[in-house]
Formats: sequence, C-alpha cells, structure tokens
Amino acid sequence: MMDGPDVGWYLIVAAILFGIGALGVMLRRSPLIVLLSLEIMLNAANLTLIAFARQQGDLDGQIFALAVMAVAAAEVAIGLGLIVAMARRRMLLDVDQASALRG
Amino acid sequence: MIDTPTVDWLALSPTIALLAAAGVALLSALLAGWMRKSVAGIAALLGFVGAAVCAGVVFDESSTPEVLLEGTMVRDQLAALAQLVLGVTGAVVVLASWSERRRENHAEYYALLATAGAGMVFFVGADNLMTLFLGLEWFSLCLYILVAIDSERETSLEAGLKYLIVGGFGSSVLLFGSALVYGATSELSFPAIAAADASNDAFLYAGLAMILAGLAFKVSAAPFHMWTPDVYQGSPTSITGFMAAATKTAAFVVTLRVLVTAFPAQEDLWTVTVAVLAAISLVWGNLGALAQRDLKRILAYSSISHAGFMLMAIAAFSDRGAEALLYYLIPYSAMSVGAFAVVAARERELNAPVTLDSLAGMGWERPYYGVALWIFMLGMAGFPLTGGMFGKLFVFSAAYDAGDWWLVLLGVAATAVSLGYYLNVVRWLYMRSGAELRLAPAGGSPPRDPALGIAISASVVVTVGSFFVVQPILDVASDAAGSLPF
Repeated sequence: MMDGPDVGWYLIVAAILFGIGALGVMLRRSPLIVLLSLEIMLNAANLTLIAFARQQGDLDGQIFALAVMAVAAAEVAIGLGLIVAMARRRMLLDVDQASALRG
Repeated sequence: MIDTPTVDWLALSPTIALLAAAGVALLSALLAGWMRKSVAGIAALLGFVGAAVCAGVVFDESSTPEVLLEGTMVRDQLAALAQLVLGVTGAVVVLASWSERRRENHAEYYALLATAGAGMVFFVGADNLMTLFLGLEWFSLCLYILVAIDSERETSLEAGLKYLIVGGFGSSVLLFGSALVYGATSELSFPAIAAADASNDAFLYAGLAMILAGLAFKVSAAPFHMWTPDVYQGSPTSITGFMAAATKTAAFVVTLRVLVTAFPAQEDLWTVTVAVLAAISLVWGNLGALAQRDLKRILAYSSISHAGFMLMAIAAFSDRGAEALLYYLIPYSAMSVGAFAVVAARERELNAPVTLDSLAGMGWERPYYGVALWIFMLGMAGFPLTGGMFGKLFVFSAAYDAGDWWLVLLGVAATAVSLGYYLNVVRWLYMRSGAELRLAPAGGSPPRDPALGIAISASVVVTVGSFFVVQPILDVASDAAGSLPF
C-alpha cells in the first residue's frame, strides 16, 4: 500500500534528473559542475531504485541505493582531489581547455 | 540469534589475497624510505600470484557452478579462469612497474594496484546487478587514482580527470539501466531476471540497452571509446598496460555473463547490437590507429579494434563464441602488457613520450626488447607462431557459425588494415642505421632492470606459448564456457 503520488511520477522526476545530469556532463565546462552533474545522474538512478523497491515491496532496491550512495561519495572525493591537484599546479579548470592529450 | 548466510571462503580467496596484499602495501608507507618500495612491491606481487594460485584451486574445485552469498556471487570455472588471467596479468604489471621513477608514493601505488585487482577478481564473480555495479566501481575508482598518480605530470592529471568523468558517466548509465531492469522484473540476480520473463516490458529493453552501453564504456568499444586514447596516453605506462589487459578481461567476461545468464530471452536484440558495436570498433580502431604517431595512442586504438574482435565472439551467442573469447583474452592480455612494458622501457631511457620517431633505432640498441616488441606487434596482427592467430581464427569461426558472415569479412579486412600500423612499428624499430647509433640522452643508459626483463619475457612466453599449447588452453576455455547456460 503506497500513499502519495503514483510510482510513475517518481520515474518521470528521475528521468528528468538523469537528463539534466547527462546534459550537464556533456555541456558544462567547469569540472566541478561536471562532477555535480555526475552525482545528479547517480541520484536519479537511486530515486528509480527506491521508487521501484517501494512499488514492489521489495527491500533489495533500497539496499542497492544505500550502496550507491557510498560509491557516489567515494567517486566525488576522488574527483575533488584531482581538481585540487590541478588547481595547485595552476592548470586551467575548464574541461574544454584540457586538451594536452588529443589526436 | 540472527541467521547469517554461509560464506564460501574458497570462492572469495582470490579477492581476499589481493586485499591483504593491498593492506600490507599501504602499511609499508610507514616504513623507512628504502624499505617502502620493496615491501610494497613484493606484497603486491605476492598478492597477485596468490590470487592466481587460489583461482587455480577454485577452477579445479568448481566443476558445477555454485551460487554464493544469497545469490549475489557465483563460483564457477568462468570466473576462476578470468581470475587466473587477472592474477598473472597483475603480477606481470607489478614487475613492469618495479623501477618506474616515482617520487614517494610507492606504497599507495602498489596498494591501489592490488585493490584494483581485488575489485576485478570480485567483479568477474558477480551474479547480481548490485555486485556487478559495486565491483565495477571498486576497480574503476582505484584506476581513476592510478591514472592520475603521476601528479607532477599535467597529462597524467588530465587523463585522470577525463577517465573519471567519462567512466563515471558510463557507470551512471549502467546503474540507471540496472534500476530499470529491477523495475521490470523486481529481481536483481541474473538467473532470476532471466526467469522473470518480462519480455514485453519497455523498461527491460531500455535497461538492457543502458547496461550494454555502460559496459561498452569499460571495454572501450566504439562509439563509447573516446576516452581511451587520451587516458592510455596520459597514464603511467605500466597502468596503461594493466588497463588494456586486465580491465578488458574483467569487463568482457562480465559482459558475456550478464548477456547470457540474465538476458537469453532478448537474444535476438542484443546479438545484433553487439555485432554492430563490434563492426564500429573494428573500423574506428583500425582507421584511427593509422593516423597516430605516439606509440601509446597506436596501442590504444589497437585495443579498441581488439575490443571489436572480442565483441564478435560475444555476438555469436554460442559456447564456441564464449570459448573463442576466453582463448582470445589470454594471448591478448600477454601481448598488451608486454607491448606497454617495452614502451615503458623506452620511456624510462628517454624520459620522454615514445613516438614512432623516438622509437627509431631501439631494435639495434636493445635487441631483446626490440624482438619482443615485434613479437607482440605480429601477435596483435594475428601472425602464426603467436596465440593471436588462433584467437582471431576461433573468433571468426564462431561468428561464421552464428551466421555473421559480414562481420567475418569486416574482421578480415580490419586485420589487413591493421598490418599497416603494426608493421610500421616494427619498421620504425630498425629505422636508424648502425652508424647513427647513440644511446638516448636521458643521463646515460638507464640502470639495469631485471624485473622489466622478466615481465617482458613472461609476456613473450605466453604470447608464443599459447600458439603451441592451443589445445589444452582451449579445453580449459571450453570447461569455463560450460558454466554458462547456452
């Protein structure tokens, strides 16, 4: 028994969040915003997992979402570490300018 | 009293061996400077060798697949064979990185390498969408740091950031796909997804497509390959070798397992998709490699084209295809680790990136490494006397049996094109005449490096050996393929 909006609404929100995140990764230039967008994508997936878990009365999806949160935190820690290392070396923090490697 | 699931320690032993090694390596950061490197390196080496030995025992013990830990993992010969390949690859990579010039971070380097190995060894035994995602992120997060670990080089940091962004994007797509499949079937474990029979659910198809795309990022199949050349070029060369061999092995074995065990009912759909990915990878990898001058970029594009060949084997969806894939991975891993080890040798004596121009004359100056590099190049091109030939042959015959004759034609054409750059590398090795010989100007010749010599010799032995003992390897591969439900 589920109170509140139907599961479909949660899925729509999750899909919109995923789209915003994906566009952010592809279009934004600051690595910080790109990391933020990656987090939005992961959390969109989390929302989907939790919505389905609630709909089906099954706990697996919620456990999965908890594990994903830990992974997302680790990933953002590494990303921020890299950005700090780049800033210390006074590299330009702009993913469009990161083009020493190309060809 | 809470019921706890029984733990099959044997199945987890390769992972535990590597995690223990990683712990020892990390603790060695506390030791005095001169002990740090050898303790960390030897711990990582023992960890990888131990994982390979444990994997051998697991292979011997698990003639029938066994589901573990509430259906999240599986112990079977497929996983054990992959773990064996990963363990040996990792040990060779440790030897190859032994005398890399790095500052103070030996302990972290070897600890991360062993942890990444542990993640891969865990990942190939995944039998559930959650362990799949966690295993994938486990080794990917370690690799993001390893790629950027030469933080005094700007290219290394740039490669790390690029890998993190693209890899993170790929895993988010995979995760969203997993969530959709979970929604369609309300199951996470692969056999249960196959049994749920939700064939008409749009979520299932969307989820399958997204899982496939996420894994395609990891195996660097075109069109999800764009990170590969940059990351391969920017990261420390031994790590590039590790990514080319071990990441591909782990990701391909898991791709095969997911598609075959979780989505057999959607077979008509994904075999076509995988075949198309294979075709694009073959075309793009080979044409891209022709245009490159940097040796690491050439090898990166070549790894994309090899991904194409291995995807052909998966697209066949037969036990012969699985056998062909497992056979292919063995000489391929040896050749890529070996080739990158030779690049590392050249890089250390030049203290500069290795391009075709700076490769010139290496065949005269370092005859043994030169010969080894041409063995690897000819092996990748599929010449006889190397396992590369049988690998290609088995893949082609599996694809032909599955009716993908157009893919076989494309594969043969791609092999012909690939000769253009593989033989070019061999030609450049001997480009300078004896009169112009001079050793590279990086402060005299580098210190003797027996560990690197052993690594390269081991790769040569596997590359050539897999040609001569093809039948035993094929038997092992067919046992391993037998643990999948075809």
